[in-house]
Amino acid sequence: MDLHYSEQELQFRARARQWLQDNIPRQPRPVGGEAMAQFDRDWQRRLFEHGWAGINWPEEYGGLGLSAIQQVIWYEECARAGAPHFINTTYVALMHAGPTIIACGTPQQKQFHLPRILSGESLWCQGFSEPNAGSDLASLKTTGAVDGDDLVINGTKTWTTDGQHADFQELLVRTTPGSERHRGLTWVICDMRAPGITVQPIRTMLGDEHVNTTFYDDVRIPLANVVGEIGGGWRTAMSTLGFERGTGFIGEQLALYERVNQAIKLAGRTRLEGGGLAIDDSDFAARLALIKADTLAIRAMTLAQISELREGDNPGPKGSMMKLMVTGTAKALSHLVADMLGWEFLEYNDNRNEHPLTYDYLWSWVYTIAGGTSEIQREIIADQMLELPRAR
Amino acid sequence: MYLALDSHEQEIANAAAAFLRAEFPLARLHARRDDDARLAEFSTLGWFGLAVAEERGGSGLGVIEQMLFFLELGRVAGPFGVLPQALALQVAADEPELLRALLAGEENVALLVERDGSGARGLGGDNCRYALELTAGESTLFRLAREQCDDVPCLDRSVVMFKTPASALQTVARVTGDGLWLRAQVCVSAMLLGAAASALDMITGYAKERETFGRPIGAYQAVRHPCADMAVRVESARCQLYYAAAALAAGHDDAALQVAAARLVAQHAARANTDANIQLHGGIGVTDEFSAHLLLKRANLLWRLFGSGRDRARTLLQVDDLDGAGS
Repeated sequence: MDLHYSEQELQFRARARQWLQDNIPRQPRPVGGEAMAQFDRDWQRRLFEHGWAGINWPEEYGGLGLSAIQQVIWYEECARAGAPHFINTTYVALMHAGPTIIACGTPQQKQFHLPRILSGESLWCQGFSEPNAGSDLASLKTTGAVDGDDLVINGTKTWTTDGQHADFQELLVRTTPGSERHRGLTWVICDMRAPGITVQPIRTMLGDEHVNTTFYDDVRIPLANVVGEIGGGWRTAMSTLGFERGTGFIGEQLALYERVNQAIKLAGRTRLEGGGLAIDDSDFAARLALIKADTLAIRAMTLAQISELREGDNPGPKGSMMKLMVTGTAKALSHLVADMLGWEFLEYNDNRNEHPLTYDYLWSWVYTIAGGTSEIQREIIADQMLELPRAR
Repeated sequence: MYLALDSHEQEIANAAAAFLRAEFPLARLHARRDDDARLAEFSTLGWFGLAVAEERGGSGLGVIEQMLFFLELGRVAGPFGVLPQALALQVAADEPELLRALLAGEENVALLVERDGSGARGLGGDNCRYALELTAGESTLFRLAREQCDDVPCLDRSVVMFKTPASALQTVARVTGDGLWLRAQVCVSAMLLGAAASALDMITGYAKERETFGRPIGAYQAVRHPCADMAVRVESARCQLYYAAAALAAGHDDAALQVAAARLVAQHAARANTDANIQLHGGIGVTDEFSAHLLLKRANLLWRLFGSGRDRARTLLQVDDLDGAGS
């Protein structure tokens, strides 16, 4: 074991810190609409123009080719500086679609899409889940019928995060009629401006409309947009899910530490009903201390995972452990803050910028459900790590 | 930055595991309670003196190796007396004859867990002629008149608990500072993690074999999901413990913070996992002949050691930059 950073890593940290300090937007991110998407595009363009785009992409495709440790450093510095959160409307493009095209795409697909993703020109959304295929993704039914040089898509996708802002979608459809489960699926690039696509917002309990249902009515997509093999879509899709549960989550893990420090400061100035400060209350202090300890453990898990994983390994159940820890700790934190605030917590007008702490509380359920529910993560751990008898 | 065991560290961990599982398996505690009489066995392989300088008769290793050893000791609820014996060596560093006798296991050390003007409560058998007390600010080694002490029963039957009058304690050596305190926290955290990991192994083994309603219980989500949560607790506690030990070894400014976090996470894992292990076993889990209760009882002893939750909360609730991540 060795906690020592190399001279090169220290220099990288200093350079990142200085650049972020000079460049992060002074205005808050708008809460929704086109202005929010434009804010994300502008920030991505700024990163791109200054050589900071593609933190986790190989150099060959315009990325920075950083080591995992340098990626950790970058995200730590982003959290420290209060930089725009990396889970925004550019997330699917940079963390899913881009890496999938890098792994499985044709030279033409790479040449067209990758530079546009890096520069913030094109935003992407995901088209995997369906109204009847969520945790059980392989039961999806949206069809793609080959007709000449096109696939003709019919069906419905849902939980399409930021679909109203996206230029393209990573779309998973059933192209072999009558096929079952993981067989007969195809991963295809869908132009969101194509005729026959209807995006219908879903209002969530947070009071916002960040997710959508997407309807496809004879939508024609050129076969040249298929990524990987026709019928090999499951393999193509898995190359991104493994990625998501690996390094794609690092920024989230490290941002928690700053959030906990904010909560500690809040506890140091918030008076409870009895008049005492929350931080002096033994119950609050004990809960907050455990959350802080878990947050440090999450950082250690991140570093251990990087050290123990070999290049190209699928993080598998370790990624599931990480997601349970991060989302569980974030939930405990936002609920503790809610308890601490008393009646002030109830002042909420659906605007996340004006009432971020109430918003965080409501978001905590999105967190433990999206990207694989906590229950599915436990199944992965039980199957792949503990090797318990199969439940299914 | 490398937060994983290197080959040398892995060797130490393997050797400790091999020795402890062969000589002190958890099941030993059903048959006989002679841990105190067997402490000298740890001296032959040099386990007491892992972190003592070579010129003083030790192995010259550090807190990382000690952590790995105590993790394995925790898995088998190994002889508790090893802990005060190993820690006392750091207090007796300038007493050559005592140091030699402690390294050889010829003299044994009890641990004082609470003390006031009238006397103290300690853990350790009749074999202990010394007693160690640790606080955040100083560590004291006493000569103990064990014959003046009264034994009291202990929930963890592998440990002898006693009460001693103040007159039975004579100060022999003292060191100031929090170095040994933090090292002790790492060792206890490692033992807590060992108990948590052992509980996980026990229930996952059982869940693959035991059948109800015609299926192994490990196929039911009511069992699978708590097991997965146990695994997450073990993994998070392991990673944080590695980090804390490495930060302490490197002398980082945030070592006290990292150690407090390691202790809290390991303690939480030991509490929750030794509990869930009994519950998920069903009826067999509460029997004396089965080993699940041994881990619960040892964990109960360990989580009372070395400071209160209040102290740990105070350390953790400072808003600080992390070492290396800071300026």
